[in-house]
Amino acid sequence: MRGHENKLFLLFVVSAIALGIAGSSMLPADRALTADASRLISIESLPDLGEMCLWEPISAKPVVPSADNNLFAAFEDKPVYAASQETVATADVARPPIRNILDTDPIYSAVTVDTRLNEVYLQDPNTWSIRIFNRLDNTPANAARTEPKRVIGGPKTDVQFNSCVYVDPKNGDIYSVENDIGDSIVVFKNDANGDAEPIRKLNVTHRAYAMAVDEENDEFYLSVQYPPQVAVYRKLASGNEPPKRLIQGESTRLSDSHGIAIDAKNKLLFVNNWGNISDYRIPGSGRFEAPSITVYRLDASGDAPPVRVIQGAKTQLNWPGAMAVDPDRQELYVANDVGQALVVFRETDKGDVQPVRVIKGPNTGLSYPTGIFVDTKNKELWATNLGNSSATVYPLTAAGNVVPVRTIRSAPKGKVSLRFGKTQAVAYDSKREEILVPN
Amino acid sequence: MHGFAYDAIHDEIVVSSPLTQAILIFRGGAGGEEAPVRVIQGPHTQILGTAEGGNDKVSVDAVNNEILLPVGTGVSRQNRTPITDNGVLVFARDVNGDVAPKRILSGPDTLIRSVAAVAADPVHDRLVVNSGNALLIFNRAASGNAKPLAVIQGPKSGVANISSFQVYPEKGWIIGGGSDGSICAWSINDNGDVPPRWKIPVQKLTGYVASGIALDPVHKEIILSAAGQRVRPPSGIMNSVITFSWPEIF
Repeated sequence: MRGHENKLFLLFVVSAIALGIAGSSMLPADRALTADASRLISIESLPDLGEMCLWEPISAKPVVPSADNNLFAAFEDKPVYAASQETVATADVARPPIRNILDTDPIYSAVTVDTRLNEVYLQDPNTWSIRIFNRLDNTPANAARTEPKRVIGGPKTDVQFNSCVYVDPKNGDIYSVENDIGDSIVVFKNDANGDAEPIRKLNVTHRAYAMAVDEENDEFYLSVQYPPQVAVYRKLASGNEPPKRLIQGESTRLSDSHGIAIDAKNKLLFVNNWGNISDYRIPGSGRFEAPSITVYRLDASGDAPPVRVIQGAKTQLNWPGAMAVDPDRQELYVANDVGQALVVFRETDKGDVQPVRVIKGPNTGLSYPTGIFVDTKNKELWATNLGNSSATVYPLTAAGNVVPVRTIRSAPKGKVSLRFGKTQAVAYDSKREEILVPN
Repeated sequence: MHGFAYDAIHDEIVVSSPLTQAILIFRGGAGGEEAPVRVIQGPHTQILGTAEGGNDKVSVDAVNNEILLPVGTGVSRQNRTPITDNGVLVFARDVNGDVAPKRILSGPDTLIRSVAAVAADPVHDRLVVNSGNALLIFNRAASGNAKPLAVIQGPKSGVANISSFQVYPEKGWIIGGGSDGSICAWSINDNGDVPPRWKIPVQKLTGYVASGIALDPVHKEIILSAAGQRVRPPSGIMNSVITFSWPEIF
């Protein structure tokens, strides 16, 4: 999943003419409002739920779905109520919505592979769930989708705005990074299924995006979008345990940080940055920089400058998402979201360099790839695609407009996802009769 | 992004960029990676994005050629130390670059307590701010530490605090969030603990709690966006854009 709160340039425009992608309905003319329609006057004392962006407390009580309150059931006939402005009383308008735009299929933001059990974990921020498949699943061309072996999701899981997934290679524990208001990392047992409670939860800084684990030292590295930083935690940290150290400050050249990867063998840390930067304590200090990958020593701390920076037009970096390292080949793999590509650099690259390999083109099945995983055991490269509800697999050394060796699809072939990641705002373009939705 | 605006008069899209302390103005028909036509950014702007919020929503008064930008301390859960006063920066709509705001509405008397959604009603010459669970109504050109002319607040009012609200000046409505997950219409002339004149019980009808609001007066519709962050919808699908017919308010 792309990080939130800074998605400015891609407005998902939905033509009003094409409304009704899913769950749509129109009121028949004979149900139109009439001036003498029945009235229901409702004056209620209402609880205070606070600002919308605030974290949802556990005590909040969701509406239990029923025929009366479920969106899809609500398309049945309902009375319409009216009142004049002069009544100084509330008139309930209880008619159902006439249209609903939503994507009923998953969108996949991140991927990891459990090579011990040959299972693939895909993060879906559209349904706030983790979907688990067999590693060798390959959706046939004529099949609508491959069903997951199991799904971890539901209110007890605390999975929300999930942007990264990691499976412990020793014990199979599943780590999920909760972006946006999730502000946490939740950990599940390897066999978790359904609405399972996490076995551990670590509260982390707002806007955490991705994690990379140093299994040798039992530490994990967490990238935080803003204020940009890398927080290093004890691997088994939970509750409000603070990070062991932070990499943060102007010298670090971190800026709207997203993907993170480590090479424990060569003691290197890689972070990619979207280039949106400011000091939140200083008005008017904001600026735009080119996307970059900053490289640090694995033991870096504080306002440490990078040992190398990959940045410039030749790099093709464009909203880089997840990253992964192959320490044996000493290569760095990047899911280059808006670049519609997977790009590969040498770990030793610096400056304005071209990738050593690029996987891109119509045969690749890539569509807004944000997740990536290097399976060194099986010599495979995995990507997840926000744009078409799929995960695609390539040989580790693939390049160019290559056909994936396998694809796990969760929607019919050719599906173009809405890519709804967080539809918090909306505007209406009356000139073009279009709905504008940022993500 | 928690709130942005389409300027129908000048055919422009106005968005805020929280992490770069900027306001970006795009062509109305912009697509792809098209650059903004104007960028308001720099030390003179006094724009502040805070560590965990702030500068996350923006509004436009196309009639009076002004851009309204709420600033403040945001919704910090880990550090509630105020970095700056809460308030509203008002810029000329057509400025570009490092330009100072035309006026600033901020101070204890304003009762603005958060990074509040804001909208202008050029017909009634009012500025409305949704701060906390209150709608603060000012003279449109109010500046400094001005007191609101009216405050709609209280249990009967049901006013909630959501990411955005709209005004419909032609009929004098303020259309915002109710604290039971509804979308409500109050009168711009209301004051005190006044119940909304109209209410769509959106959560009850759909399972979603709306955070974004847009109006389509031509088709007499209200368009809502919801992202699952308040209440998990029964459909299990977190992101949705829902349209209601609401001819009564247009």
